Amino acid sequence: MSVFNDLLFGLSVALTPTNMVIAVVGLILGTAIGVLPGLGGTNGVALLLPLTFTLQPTSAIILLASVYWGAIFGGAITSILFNIPGEPWSVATTFDGYPLAKQGKPGLALTAAFTSSFIGALVAIVLFTFFAPPLAELALKFGPPENFAVLLLAFSTFTGLGGGKPSKTILMTLLGLLLSTVGFDIITGSPRMNFGLVPLQSGINFIVIAIGLFGLGEIFLTVEEGLRLEGVKGRISFRDLLETWKMFPSYLVTIIRSAIMGFWIGVLPGTGATPASFMSYGLAKQFSKHPERFGKGEVEGVVAPETAAHAAGIGALLPMLTLGIPGSPTAAVMLAGFFIWGLNPGPLLFATNRDFVWGLIGSMYVANVIGVILVLTLVPAFAAINRVPFSILAPLIVIMSSIGAYATNNQILDLWLMLGSGVVGYIFKKLNYPLAPLVVALVLGDMTEQALRQSLIMFQGNPAVFLQRPITILFLAATALLFALPAIREYGNRRRQARTPQPDAA
Amino acid sequence: MRKAETAVAALLTLFALGMIREATKLSVGWTGIGPGSGFFPFWLSVGVAVTGMIILTQSLRAPRRVEDSEPFIPQRAWKPLLIVLLPMVTVIALMKWLGIYIGGGLYLAGYMRLVGRFRWPMVALISVLIPVVLFFIFEKWFLLPLPKGSLLETLLYGR
Repeated sequence: MSVFNDLLFGLSVALTPTNMVIAVVGLILGTAIGVLPGLGGTNGVALLLPLTFTLQPTSAIILLASVYWGAIFGGAITSILFNIPGEPWSVATTFDGYPLAKQGKPGLALTAAFTSSFIGALVAIVLFTFFAPPLAELALKFGPPENFAVLLLAFSTFTGLGGGKPSKTILMTLLGLLLSTVGFDIITGSPRMNFGLVPLQSGINFIVIAIGLFGLGEIFLTVEEGLRLEGVKGRISFRDLLETWKMFPSYLVTIIRSAIMGFWIGVLPGTGATPASFMSYGLAKQFSKHPERFGKGEVEGVVAPETAAHAAGIGALLPMLTLGIPGSPTAAVMLAGFFIWGLNPGPLLFATNRDFVWGLIGSMYVANVIGVILVLTLVPAFAAINRVPFSILAPLIVIMSSIGAYATNNQILDLWLMLGSGVVGYIFKKLNYPLAPLVVALVLGDMTEQALRQSLIMFQGNPAVFLQRPITILFLAATALLFALPAIREYGNRRRQARTPQPDAA
Repeated sequence: MRKAETAVAALLTLFALGMIREATKLSVGWTGIGPGSGFFPFWLSVGVAVTGMIILTQSLRAPRRVEDSEPFIPQRAWKPLLIVLLPMVTVIALMKWLGIYIGGGLYLAGYMRLVGRFRWPMVALISVLIPVVLFFIFEKWFLLPLPKGSLLETLLYGR
């Protein structure tokens, strides 16, 4: 059982004092980021990326991953105590978490959220541990045509499952790929698509764009809406712990279902923790004996979305590590880090950088155990972060964003690029253009172009190459299905409407 | 809202057309060593242009709704948005001289005073403390050279 050996090795990497300290720092920062509205996992990770330049790659990925886990834990705190989701994936947690807190049971709701988040993570990490090596091994056999088909499949999940308007999703995906071509040709190295502007010759910096779109864009939106926080004070007593944990055995089925479902939803790039949490909430309500209690303070309504959200967060790293395809925008930012740390993402990492891969997997176990203890004990401290006035927080986020954007390339021009993407991100978000496909496509652009051109070179420009290989046919069929899915759904809706005489009911 | 939708779709389409022009300066088709440099960007920008035009026609032909007449940015939101944005533009424009620490501190102080209505002593305390902490984190511990600006360079090192 080489998996167990690898895992033990990974745990030994993750348990070194340096990496433990890094995980704790990452978790605390991440939880703070998760608590703060206007600062999410994606830009939190992007802002901290420059700090990892001087670290070993293994420590660097442990730091960023810990920030991610912390943000997932932290999102629940504001949802339950303030009725304001700190992260999009904790929206579903507000439905029952806030009513519970208002009924004077914030400790119970928080314990339930953290515990289920932890169990969801644990189930997902076990799945991760056993699925990652065979997936990487399979991916090692991929040639350029297979790689291109997998990438297409990844992009199609945004259109098929992302839930936005298909035309806008496709446009954003293409735009992300297009922007990645600016600078120079990755195969010949000659400059191109730079409109004769020298600064554009090095290409468009992905991190800067991500910080602008997610960091500044979010600040602009928060400023526009005007932020008011009114919360319930939260503290977890030892009695809360025991009382909540006594209830957990009865949620076993919900937890296992939410965790496994969340994991696989997280693996797909087009979806992620947010839809996973909503779906899991919906299913829990459907299967419940008391669906009428949901929305009024049902503990199961906190358990289900939290389990799924954390499982999906873990799942998002599976394609990142094995295929080099990020399962979420946050994973996309981490993947950008791979290049900066001098690593080549993809299945080869399992052979060439064993300490990096298994150190990350080992740290998932370690960091989530530390994480759940941290949040259970430090809830009052984290909740207090929300008392920092927004008029200090907003400029601070702006300053941190600028530092993050500048530090990747050391040029002031990038600050203008960040500002521009912030404004564009604000406009796109208001008009419901999805940002995730843009960001993921931008980071995968070079890989996609390389895979496509190499496939065409291999077979003298004959596109039939994609239809002669069994794996590619499989992926392309799935891709076609996903791209067609919105149209199929539309058709189904119309037929249903035609059958039911009163359209108001639909 | 509707005007914004139309305008953004039109701008995206225009951008794509510009990219098509840029791509056609390179070899778009087959060259001796496979597809040319312009091949991938060309077809992508064609794709963006086509989807952009689809969104444009959709927004022009869509039936009018009540919320269409709402302004894209609500009247009351302009002031808070500009208070975030304009000082940012100013500080970035002066980055060469102010640097990120002094510039960031001034930005923080201005925002705290204008939006948070903090008293001056508090403004001074926070907007000095935070840049100093950041300076030690980035400059001293992580050895990341951030733009210090000519002002701080002179003050610190007499250059």
